[in-house]
Amino acid sequence: MRRRTIITSLAASPLVVAGCSTGEGVDAPGTGGGDAQGGFVAATSAQPDQFDPHKTTAYASFQVLENVYDTLVEPSADGEEMQPSLAAEWTTGPDGLTWTFTLREGVTFHDGSPFDAEDVVFSFRRIIDQQLANAYRLATVTDVRAQDPRTVVFTLSEPTPALLSQIGGFKGLAIVPAGVDEASLTTSAVGTGPFTLVSSSASEVSLSRYDGYWGEAPGVEGVTFRFITEPAAAMTALTGDQVQWTDNVPPQQVSDLAGDEQVELGQVASVDYWYLAMNCAKAPFSDRDVRRAIATAVDRAAVTTAARYEAARPNQTAVPEDSFWYHDYAPFSVDVDEAKRLLEGAGVSGPLTMGLMVTPEYPETVTAAQVIASQLEPLGITVQIQTEDFATWLDRQGRGDFDAFLLGWLGNLDPFDYYDGQHRTGGSNNYHGYSNPAVDDLLDRAAVATDRDGRKALYDQAAELIVDDVSYLYLYNPDVVQAWTPGLTGYEVRPDKAVDFDSVALPS
Amino acid sequence: MTGFALRRTLQSVVVLLGVSVAVFALVHLVDGDPVRLALGTRFDQATYDALRERSGLDQPLAVQYAQWISSAVTGDLGVSFRSGDPVTVLILERLPATLSLAGASILVALLIALPLGTVSALRPRSLLDGLGTVVSQVGISVPEFWMGIMLILLFAGTLGWFPASGYVPLSEDPAGWARSLVLPAVTTGLVSGSVLTRFTRSSVLEALGAEHVRTARAKGLGPRAVLNWHVLRNALLPLVTVTGVQLAYLLSGVVVVEIVFAWPGLGQLALQAVQARDYPVLQGAVLLFAFVFLLLNLVVDLLYTKLDPRISA
Repeated sequence: MRRRTIITSLAASPLVVAGCSTGEGVDAPGTGGGDAQGGFVAATSAQPDQFDPHKTTAYASFQVLENVYDTLVEPSADGEEMQPSLAAEWTTGPDGLTWTFTLREGVTFHDGSPFDAEDVVFSFRRIIDQQLANAYRLATVTDVRAQDPRTVVFTLSEPTPALLSQIGGFKGLAIVPAGVDEASLTTSAVGTGPFTLVSSSASEVSLSRYDGYWGEAPGVEGVTFRFITEPAAAMTALTGDQVQWTDNVPPQQVSDLAGDEQVELGQVASVDYWYLAMNCAKAPFSDRDVRRAIATAVDRAAVTTAARYEAARPNQTAVPEDSFWYHDYAPFSVDVDEAKRLLEGAGVSGPLTMGLMVTPEYPETVTAAQVIASQLEPLGITVQIQTEDFATWLDRQGRGDFDAFLLGWLGNLDPFDYYDGQHRTGGSNNYHGYSNPAVDDLLDRAAVATDRDGRKALYDQAAELIVDDVSYLYLYNPDVVQAWTPGLTGYEVRPDKAVDFDSVALPS
Repeated sequence: MTGFALRRTLQSVVVLLGVSVAVFALVHLVDGDPVRLALGTRFDQATYDALRERSGLDQPLAVQYAQWISSAVTGDLGVSFRSGDPVTVLILERLPATLSLAGASILVALLIALPLGTVSALRPRSLLDGLGTVVSQVGISVPEFWMGIMLILLFAGTLGWFPASGYVPLSEDPAGWARSLVLPAVTTGLVSGSVLTRFTRSSVLEALGAEHVRTARAKGLGPRAVLNWHVLRNALLPLVTVTGVQLAYLLSGVVVVEIVFAWPGLGQLALQAVQARDYPVLQGAVLLFAFVFLLLNLVVDLLYTKLDPRISA
């Protein structure tokens, strides 16, 4: 009964809502006494798998958890810097091997218990000792210790300039209370964030404003995440004011929606990238010239338009143009004759067949593969598009059982995320068997370089080698596209796709 | 009669056991590793091994089956890999939505099929019959997702009569429940109704041509009495079978319609379980579907004996 009432009252009588809202910062009358689900409904495309921040890897879960949990530090809205969150400040020892975090005062968990250094130690120990999903991010952390209730010291095996983004890049490294019943974290949540998790069903998740929140009080009393997979249904619900926000915007509609007065559209370049990887351990793709021939024949602009319409930008490297870590390097221009010469030089004569593995889990890979297949035809390369469901796809990737595949890496903040595991010899994500000692050396040095500009110079050099060797054939950076009710304030589309509703306020 | 019922029930139990073995073997034979899927693309080997052990997937298959079936008999279907919830809870949570949709759909289907099919059969090759054929052809041919989206755009978007999607529990808000049910039920009901219309028409036609009908007419019975007592009663038999099959199909979840209307039914649960290789949920769901099919078949068979006493002999 509750939920339904609120939605209909919203749709039917915006004036009532207006009465409660004074725009930004809002003092809703009867704070705390209001209905837990007060007002704001967001349509997302999938149901969270679970709520344990240290165990889930699903984006749908993190959309919710972003609003419930906090991390020690967090990315700024533009994703360029790490800023204080539960840690108010931090210092690094002279050798770069100890990091000391001073914790924020006056923070409480949703169960009312105070937050202190023990909670931080418990959370990180849990991830490391139980080898949970994000343990790999803490590979250089040898010790986490509470020096006093307000101070936590991290000891590292080697300098780790990317540490801040590794421990606070997203809510997978959230701080949970020490001694919490761990099994309960799967289905409930005890965070320090702006909203508490109230209930969850097969069709929606409800959050309610946490009155003890340490930051500025949220602008809405609650947030309901409703799962609507079909984009047409999500957009109809948005224009009908049954929901006030959605990220389920079909890319082909972006240009139409830009002129639509019923919705407001937000679009920024994401920190994701999509690429084609060829199997460097399998002839003839082990031959650098064969890979370069294919990279010369692929028209990235055409692939990008087919896969994402107006909502992406072609790129020959991984890092998008808006980022500090962007390196302007684009050595390939589409040239079929040059590509043919490279293939001949590599001794590939006669027809060549390339299996290209894609998955309907990410439909844009299927579309991109079709375009790439037609672009490689003039070279005498027959592309066999192999569409696999994601489970099988991952199996084959893990076994190295492929000629080539298409996929993306999402949510990259530090250049370490963009390059390290993917291109280092034997790297944890180097499924395509790439190896170049010069790249390894650059990645080693960049991983421990503490000077930001010096670090960038090293990654730039590594990126040039990676692009030249076509370890990855980079295709494009997609945009984050989200839509909401006109007049909604306090919401910002973020390049890392984190969905943060703590300052959202409904139109007055 | 009781002997027949007992025999059929025992058969069903045996079949269900066979299904459990087949289901278990099938889900484990399919490619795809639930642990790898749960961890996404970024992880290290120690994390992988730890999760594999926690999920019990490092045990031999025979041991896993024995554990599963022995607790399944007591009603414990295990715990989802994906969400950590008990499988029975996940299924029970979605049962009301599925029951609502299946019930409403079969109602819509019968409301279309019985009058349209009977009238078509009584006036074969008439304008009405032609119309009925066209309507049922369209209903069978048009893809459900397209029909669903069109209904959303028209009745939720342009006219604003019904919510675009979502499910409201009956216990929370009966009026909202009914409103949320209309568009998805019409979408699935049109398809099932089209199938049933054709069956109604052909079985009524067949019954009309039967000799006992001619006899009934010859002894001077009125057309209404002939229709009610001699035609429809006989035509019901195949129709009950087909309706049972349609209902079983609807109860096992209508994935496409559930996705279009964001309907939290069993179909979506099963689909998510397939995608995540969530073995416990998948096994539980398929076992339940098999159970529902067998149960409805049993009910249909027993109904037969009521409708046609010759069968129990």
